[in-house]
Amino acid sequence: MSTTSFFNFSFLPKYGTMFVQGIEYTLLLSVFAVLLAILPAMLLAILRLSKNKVVRFLSGLYIDVFRATPLLVQISLIYFGLFNFIKLPSVYLFGFINIAMFVPGVVALSLNSAAYVAEIFRAGILAVDIGQTEAARSLGLSSAAAMTKVVLPQAVKNVLPALANEIITMVKESSICSTLGMMELMWAAKTVAATTYITLGPYVVAALIYFCINYPASKIIEAIERRMRRGDQR
Amino acid sequence: MATKDKLIVVRNLVKEFNGGTVKALDHCNLDIARGEVVAIIGPSGSGKSTFLRSLNLLESPTEGEICFEGVNLADKKVDIDLHRRRMGMVFQHFNLFPHKTVLENITMAPIHLGLATKQEAEKKADELLSRIGLLEKRDEYPNRLSGGQKQRIAIVRALAMEPDVMLFDEPTSALDPEMVGEVLDMIRDLAKSGMTMVIVTHEMGFAREVASRVIFMADGQIREDAPPKELFENPKDDRLKDFLSKVL
Repeated sequence: MSTTSFFNFSFLPKYGTMFVQGIEYTLLLSVFAVLLAILPAMLLAILRLSKNKVVRFLSGLYIDVFRATPLLVQISLIYFGLFNFIKLPSVYLFGFINIAMFVPGVVALSLNSAAYVAEIFRAGILAVDIGQTEAARSLGLSSAAAMTKVVLPQAVKNVLPALANEIITMVKESSICSTLGMMELMWAAKTVAATTYITLGPYVVAALIYFCINYPASKIIEAIERRMRRGDQR
Repeated sequence: MATKDKLIVVRNLVKEFNGGTVKALDHCNLDIARGEVVAIIGPSGSGKSTFLRSLNLLESPTEGEICFEGVNLADKKVDIDLHRRRMGMVFQHFNLFPHKTVLENITMAPIHLGLATKQEAEKKADELLSRIGLLEKRDEYPNRLSGGQKQRIAIVRALAMEPDVMLFDEPTSALDPEMVGEVLDMIRDLAKSGMTMVIVTHEMGFAREVASRVIFMADGQIREDAPPKELFENPKDDRLKDFLSKVL
């Protein structure tokens, strides 16, 4: 079959494991990135809603910088800049994930994700009725306690679907890490294409895999979201 | 100032919104003694709710003093959280915490603030719940309750803090008519028990029956302050006469 055919999958028997490892790498990158982003994002969101102007500005600045610059640029700066100073040992996880590359990848994605998740949290916090804060404060809770015990638990519940969607976004965005040689799904496709001279098939396979991960995931999230909304009448 | 027997003393309270363009409260003065039940009535937009919410500083005053148990709450140096514990507040829309059970709604603040152990707080909550016949709802979430039940539990939540005064912000305005009675009954019982209360209400009959004093507000001012019989039967202020002719 022609090497430029969309349907030339003759590389699969030999290189299938590379794709499987790629999937694992991609999922680990995305899930870790978003999970690590949650706490800083929560903090950014709370600071963004603070009464203190300076704090509000700094948090806003972080969010704006990360949202207004390309992820590829951020990753390059963090990988070549920050992790030029922080030397990590080349330890392999599962035999194919090099910590020295994986960690900078996760850090970069998660710093980026924190900016987006912060906005998700901010919307989630603002969506909690102000009466909840007033009720908590009228009982004598400090504003911090009202936030952590009353507002945040409700905000987090509100934004769970959006958070899950952020993981989906990250699954796609993490493909950028291939440019730095992280052996995730896109890197597998590129490498197979370069090795076998089959130019389209590997990318078709990558596209199918991304789709088969993200499409069902987003449908499940939608269903959960619908159920949550039904249970939400106060 | 003779503030000894006075629980709450409000002096020249001014509240402005939008940088002074809206004057919600215009030099209000009021003394509330222990054991008094004060009903605040008036047309909507008259500042009743703003006045009530100023008492525990949910609205921070632009000017003036709010002395509660001898402490000026408007003073920025005062730790308002400590004083709010002594002032229970009940809201029009209940504001129960939807992610917590009825029991947790009631015990959360006393436990968190270290005023009671978990066991003590739960025992007390159970007592209060059984007194209003809602003990079997203790493990339910608020969304499983009727409006009347929610509001009664919101009152219990405030009572669990053993406050010295209870502030009610239109406690029956968001209720279906058939549920107003159960909430008013509970407030009535509370009044009989000697609790100091300030109630913003549209229920004129209730105000007349339960209150020891009725305050009429209009345009952010306290226009009349009298025992209910006098205020309703012999109103002096023109705005009050007009208001009563519309609502009675």
